[in-house]
Amino acid sequence: MATDFYDALGVARTASADEIQRAYRKLAREYHPDVNADPGAEERFKEISEAYQVLSDPDQRKKYDRFGADFRRVPDDFDERAHVGGGGRVRYAQGGQGFGGGFEGIDIEDLLGGFFRGRGGSVPGADQQAELELTVEDAYRGGRRHLTLAGAAERGYDVTVPPGVLDGQRIRLAGQGGTGSGNAAPGDLYLVVRVKPHPRYRLSGRDIHVDLPVSPWEAVLGATVPVTTPGGEVKVRVTPGSSTGRRLRLRGEGMPNPKGKPGDLYAEVRVMVPKKPGKRERELFEELAAVSDFDPRSS
Amino acid sequence: MAEYLLVRPVRLSLETVAVRSGLHPELVRRFAALSLLECTTDADGRLWFTPSTVAILARIQRLRSGLSLNYAAIGLVLDLLDRIDVLEAQVRSQRRWT
Repeated sequence: MATDFYDALGVARTASADEIQRAYRKLAREYHPDVNADPGAEERFKEISEAYQVLSDPDQRKKYDRFGADFRRVPDDFDERAHVGGGGRVRYAQGGQGFGGGFEGIDIEDLLGGFFRGRGGSVPGADQQAELELTVEDAYRGGRRHLTLAGAAERGYDVTVPPGVLDGQRIRLAGQGGTGSGNAAPGDLYLVVRVKPHPRYRLSGRDIHVDLPVSPWEAVLGATVPVTTPGGEVKVRVTPGSSTGRRLRLRGEGMPNPKGKPGDLYAEVRVMVPKKPGKRERELFEELAAVSDFDPRSS
Repeated sequence: MAEYLLVRPVRLSLETVAVRSGLHPELVRRFAALSLLECTTDADGRLWFTPSTVAILARIQRLRSGLSLNYAAIGLVLDLLDRIDVLEAQVRSQRRWT
């Protein structure tokens, strides 16, 4: 919390009182814990508020400009003492470790307590929201995940993800949100699940769609081919005469559902051809072309 | 013979809300008059609140002290935040393709 107050508000050291107020109002609107559910917002809001409290008061600002982060340790009558015998200076030099030396002995909550205290009561903390990114496989299997939320005080959580969690679902961590003032309860932390796009799997609700590449002869004659699904490899029977686009449904092989029926897996046939057929392959295809009267454009 | 559970109505009295939020009952009554809190009035003229009222009161206090909003503005902000919540939930449920 040793950030420079001017940096916290993003203003120059020469900024006028109006500029400081403008910067503060703008940032306060952006980072107020009820407007911004980001877990880092509350901390930032306190930082901004503290900076404004000091810089908006001409006396405190003057002191801060002169003594930096340790300005609160400087006694009010510093000038008189310095003038008389330098006693004040000695005390100051002992206490501080220079700029940014920290705020030992000064409780930030104490300074800001009045801010949130309201009318003698204590105010519960605001709810916060963070994103939890999962791959399709992670979402399918569920299990424990470790999550770290960045900030001045880094927070780590071990979260149990239920199997079959969907994009946009929220996981609630009770009491892990914004801190309440006084002895009021903290808010809750909500983790919004984001399922990362997958090169092979596409999700539609609980249904999983996957491409099933087959050779022309497999498509014509039918075959049993392996398909990798998030739950492992399964065998799929391609019915004879399957063109590209035919969907084979594997009932119950989609996303698990903690409260009911799981989704289905759809394997969509895609007929693939060899890019560079061998000599013999070419001959056979030529023969097929001569013999066949199949015209895919006639229907 | 069927058994029935005795279910208490899920509503809070003015006094309970005041105690739980640490505010003076008169202030809570005033918030209700300013329509910052939803409440119902029974035949005796007593005010009844929903359990979420305590969380809303906390939000009102945070908005007032953190952004120095007046109570009329807080009413607007509460409404807008609620609407944003609804819209964000809609967006989340509509984003079906990954």
